[in-house]
Amino acid sequence: MKRTELHESYYASSLIEASLDPLIAISMNGKITDLNQAKVNITGIDREKLIGTNFYDYFTEPQKALELCREVFAKGSISDSPLTFRHKNGNLTNVLFNGSVFKDDSGLVLGAVVVARDIAEQKWATDLRIANKELAFQNDEKEKRAAELILANKELAFQNDEKEKRAAELILANKELIFQNNEKEKRAAELILANKELIFQNDEKEKRAAELILANKELVFQKDEKGKRAAELIIADKELVYQQDEKEKRAAELIIADKELVYQQDEKEKRAAELIIADKELLFQQDEKRKRAAELIIANKELAFQNDEKEKRAAELIIANYARSLIEASLDPLFTINLEGKITDMNNASVNITGVSREGLIGTDFFDYFTEPQKAREVYKEVFANGFVADYPLTIRDGKLTDVLFNGSVYKDDTGNVLGVVVVARDITEQKRIATELTEAIVFAELAVGIAEEAKTKAESATLLAENAVKAKQQFLSNMSHEIRTPMNAIIGFTKVLLKTDLSAKQKEYLTAIKMSGDSLIVLINDILDLAKVDAGKMIFEQVPFKMSLSISAMLHLFETKILEKNLELVRKYDKRIPEVLVGDPVRLHQIILNLVSNAVKFTNKGKITVSVTLLEEDEEKATIEFGVSDTGIGIAENKMDKIFENFQQASSGTSRLYGGTGLGLAIVKQLVEPQGGSVRVESEINKGSIFSFVLSFLKTKSEADGESGILELDREVKNIKVLVVEDIALNQLLMRTLLDDFGFECDIAANGKIAIEKMQNKPYDVVLMDLQMPEMNGFEATEYIRNSMKSKIPIIALTADVTTVDLAKCKAVGMNDYIAKPVDERILYVKIVGLVKKPLVTNAKEDTEKDTNDSPKLKCTDLKYLNTRTKSNPVLMMEMISLYLAQTPVLVSSMKQGFLDNDWSSLQAAVHKMIPSFVIMGINPDFENMARKVQEYANIQQQSDGIYDLVLQLESVCVQACTELKEEYNRIKNSKK
Amino acid sequence: MNNKNKLKLFLVDDDALYLKLLEIEFMQHDEFIFESFATGELCVENLLHKPDVIILDYHLDSVEKNAMNGIDTLDKIKTYNPDIPVVMLSSQDKIEVAINCMHHKAFDYIVKSETAFLRLQKVIKTIFHTRKIEKTLDWYMEKL
Repeated sequence: MKRTELHESYYASSLIEASLDPLIAISMNGKITDLNQAKVNITGIDREKLIGTNFYDYFTEPQKALELCREVFAKGSISDSPLTFRHKNGNLTNVLFNGSVFKDDSGLVLGAVVVARDIAEQKWATDLRIANKELAFQNDEKEKRAAELILANKELAFQNDEKEKRAAELILANKELIFQNNEKEKRAAELILANKELIFQNDEKEKRAAELILANKELVFQKDEKGKRAAELIIADKELVYQQDEKEKRAAELIIADKELVYQQDEKEKRAAELIIADKELLFQQDEKRKRAAELIIANKELAFQNDEKEKRAAELIIANYARSLIEASLDPLFTINLEGKITDMNNASVNITGVSREGLIGTDFFDYFTEPQKAREVYKEVFANGFVADYPLTIRDGKLTDVLFNGSVYKDDTGNVLGVVVVARDITEQKRIATELTEAIVFAELAVGIAEEAKTKAESATLLAENAVKAKQQFLSNMSHEIRTPMNAIIGFTKVLLKTDLSAKQKEYLTAIKMSGDSLIVLINDILDLAKVDAGKMIFEQVPFKMSLSISAMLHLFETKILEKNLELVRKYDKRIPEVLVGDPVRLHQIILNLVSNAVKFTNKGKITVSVTLLEEDEEKATIEFGVSDTGIGIAENKMDKIFENFQQASSGTSRLYGGTGLGLAIVKQLVEPQGGSVRVESEINKGSIFSFVLSFLKTKSEADGESGILELDREVKNIKVLVVEDIALNQLLMRTLLDDFGFECDIAANGKIAIEKMQNKPYDVVLMDLQMPEMNGFEATEYIRNSMKSKIPIIALTADVTTVDLAKCKAVGMNDYIAKPVDERILYVKIVGLVKKPLVTNAKEDTEKDTNDSPKLKCTDLKYLNTRTKSNPVLMMEMISLYLAQTPVLVSSMKQGFLDNDWSSLQAAVHKMIPSFVIMGINPDFENMARKVQEYANIQQQSDGIYDLVLQLESVCVQACTELKEEYNRIKNSKK
Repeated sequence: MNNKNKLKLFLVDDDALYLKLLEIEFMQHDEFIFESFATGELCVENLLHKPDVIILDYHLDSVEKNAMNGIDTLDKIKTYNPDIPVVMLSSQDKIEVAINCMHHKAFDYIVKSETAFLRLQKVIKTIFHTRKIEKTLDWYMEKL
């Protein structure tokens, strides 16, 4: 520890001693207590003698030193206060005085340490820098001025060049100008020489700067010498040698610093240094320069003046030349006329227009060249009177009498005297022609616009008419279909009925004829309607699953009779790979094949008709199937093949006479195939036969075919179906009854929806055939009531004469199951009725095999949907609810019945009241809830009523049924829970 | 669990089926605990349990003739503590019934229908909303 302390204090004192700055420790009263060698050097007094003396005695200003000393003790420190040391030999050293107090461990101020930095060298460098800067600044200024002069000279030279270029063009016209130019060039050369001189001087300055560096080096050398002498003085003291080395290093650093300074200030500094030494020289030179600059300025002024003059003259000449070119280039005749009216100058256009040569024109009277000289003279006078005239029409008398617009203005000399008139005569022949053409064009355009507007109006009214016509057509078609179908329904229906009675052969023949006519008429109407629908964009293709093979074979059955009659052969090729159930529109597919096959049958008298259904492609989603119908009939001529698909077109005009038909069949086929993404192809050879084929894609499905869409096999075994026919027209009532009797179905007739509903409330039916248009309550209203108010799910088939898509959509919307178009096809009617009635029978049979399948289906009266929702299908809660219902309901029912029997209104009312919420909970038809409310109302007003017993009985029966069902349900839940 | 923060409901209906349905309904909502009573008498006896809301059937005397009906029960509850909100339930959708209930200071009147549960939930929400607003109002009134 001790050693370290010693070591440290020794090290500190070495540092202090090594410092080139005088370091002094002073006591509180300003006595020197310690010092370093630098202090000894700076004062020239021995260390021993210095200690104990007043430190401020060694400064030139002891008072200031004393004050600074006090300041140190007052503030604790002081920095950079300038003072001057006095060496005992009288040398003065400027220092920056820095001091700070030093304290003992307990913080007591013991004294102050003072550092006095020798700033003599620093000060000199600063002064030098300032001087350099000043010089540099002055030099910069001068240089700037010189540069400006050079720029000015350059500018002048440049301008001169420019001017020379211009002047060169005019050289022939102006020799004096050339002389002046030469002069200028000489001056410029002189300027270049002056510049060269300047450059030379700059070089000189640079040389001097180099000399300054040498001087600096000399200074360095002298400093070295000084250091050596100092070293000799303290040769005994190694520390001092070391210090001297240090000093030398610092001196070297200073030199480097100087060099750095010099280097940094670069050219400027060099020049500045040179300027210090050669100030007089420079001043002289600058005077010279100034003089020369002054001369140059004067010369410049002179030049500028001359240039101005030159420019003016050049400009004038250019203007003159330019103006001349312009004048000559002008297509308008231009003249100048003197005061006497004689032509003094003109341009080429004037020569051309008058046909007189330039020489011939000059000096002649310009009025002579106009058809109306008098008028021209007036114009001329007007020019002198007003100073100008504008657009005065005149005609130049040349070979072809050119119409011109006369424009003129006087021209004057510098003093304002009128010298003559400049005249421009604009040739307006072209203008006039164009103006005339324009006028004509405008007239034509206006006429055209008028015609166009008329046409537009006509077109608009035509469009309107056309639109109205289309609407009217659609309306007509719609009306027609209805109006015609209704009577046709009766005609065909009764013909069929009549045919079943005992008839003579003749009668039978006639009736058959009537039926056939009716049938073909219906086909025609259907065709027209279909086309109208396609045209109106109303044709909508269904996407329902159906059985392709069943569908095709059922359809082909329809032709069996006809084919047999004509003694033809029907070949059916059905690709076994076709998936059984496909998704598409079976009705439209029927229609397409029906049309093609009926054509084939119609136009074939012997041979065979082949219907082929081939699977072309099959992937996971769809199956692409090609349908082909080929015959061995009359065939189609090649040039007719395009036409046969157009409306009302047949292969030949004679065809319809021979074979009948409207020519709509193929048009419909095309219209039905193409919107479904298919195309129809035909190959044919006259007298050999035709092949019609089309390709359609059907989506594949896993779901079962909808029974109603496929044509079901007839099941003559189904009997005892109770049908309610709702139909207002007596004829149709009779017809339907006949048909249904024929099927062996039981049939009731209601004349309108209201009667139908009444009947339904009294007697259960299996199916309702509902006409749509009826008085009192139409089919839609009735169906809505049956579905929504009666909550009955009885199958309802609409009977409609107007098979528009809108109606069909409406039928589905109100909850009808199907529709049959009038006139009713008995086969379709049968199929649809059986199809609809059979379905619930099948499902019922599954649930309760013991029940007689011929019974009307007994639907479940409860529906646990509500309970499921409420309990979130929690089986425990469900069971709790059901068991509560089972416990409560029989009590309520008996209480209700007893109350009714006893005329105990309040208990009846209370029992029924309590029953009410349970209907909703158990999903029992709201009709019963309404019944209960009715009973409650009756009970409230304590009035016996006829209907009330019936209601009570109904409530009882539904509650009993509900209890039975719910018991099963309870067990089911219980079992499934396990 | 923490039944203190839950709202206590009294469900009162002599229709066991409907009462069960009510229970099921409120069981599914975690924020409620409830006590069910088949009669108005039982409900009144248990008012000590401090229900937050009482859902009360209008017809409480349909099974037992001498039982207290809904309106009587409502009056009893209101005598006991007029601040308990009571929501009346009835299968009768009649204006007279509704007005009668309101005259006896029922908070609301709900018809037992398919939408009854939705309405009940809404009413209960409204009750607490109203109560909160009233409390705030009281606080401000006191400040004034």
